[in-house]
Amino acid sequence: MPYKTILSYKGPFYIELISVFGTNIRNLNDSFVNARKKLFKIFIELSQNVSNYSEDYHMVNNIQRIGIGELCIRENSEHYLFSTKNQVKTNDAKILTDRCKLINSSEYNQLRKLKREQRLNSLGEKFGARIGLIQAVMLSKNKIDYEDEVIDDKFSYFTITVKIDKI
Amino acid sequence: MENIVLTTSPETPYFPEVNFDVQSGTCEIKGESYMEETYKFYLPLITWIKEYCDSNNEIVFNIKLIYLNTSTTKCLLDMLELLKKFEEKGGKVQVNWYYDKSDPDMVDEVEDFEAEAGIKINLIEKE
Repeated sequence: MPYKTILSYKGPFYIELISVFGTNIRNLNDSFVNARKKLFKIFIELSQNVSNYSEDYHMVNNIQRIGIGELCIRENSEHYLFSTKNQVKTNDAKILTDRCKLINSSEYNQLRKLKREQRLNSLGEKFGARIGLIQAVMLSKNKIDYEDEVIDDKFSYFTITVKIDKI
Repeated sequence: MENIVLTTSPETPYFPEVNFDVQSGTCEIKGESYMEETYKFYLPLITWIKEYCDSNNEIVFNIKLIYLNTSTTKCLLDMLELLKKFEEKGGKVQVNWYYDKSDPDMVDEVEDFEAEAGIKINLIEKE
């Protein structure tokens, strides 16, 4: 089934913008209430990953770092597809790839255990819980697609796509 | 020690409503929580709980969050761990988590909090 784009954005991931997009997602005019709830939660998690960790960023008032990246939401009659793309260091792309492989090879209960361990052992503060990707897969119950697109010897673009079933 | 009262605004729906009341010993967090720099927002609340527990015997913690991001879950876990320590020292703790039955993922989330913090959480279905 072909997908149509319902939201596409490239630029800084300000919280104000994420919040407005999130409200639009919640208010999508369809009957897939549970799928929209999941899409909203996954949207917030992965968008905030871009905002927090993108290597391309704006500094606001020389204090706050706002990551720059891309997002896209597409849909067909059966699924929503949500993608984020942002710049990462080459070494971080390898770490992310390994993490995606681990998450994709884990069953739901293994992910739940991994999430608990990761949250308990996370340093917190500015590092957060570091469980956004696990949460996205647990919510969607689908494996994530990922792509590491090399820019040069220092950076890559890393794309993550999550499929959310409508029913 | 002073109460903490924070209200929400339609312009900033990513901040929750907060009401930490010294006299009644009741703490309530309500709404949504997915702000930037989550720890900066929650640090005063964590500090408040520490100070309150140092000089009181009883606390009620009501969580009425419709949505919380994973960074918020880390801060909530820090608070629940403090309450667990308070309980181990003889304090009386009641944690109530109000949830919407149309959100099938929230019950699993609460079970995970119980397991991670080692504290009893009363799941209460919202009317």
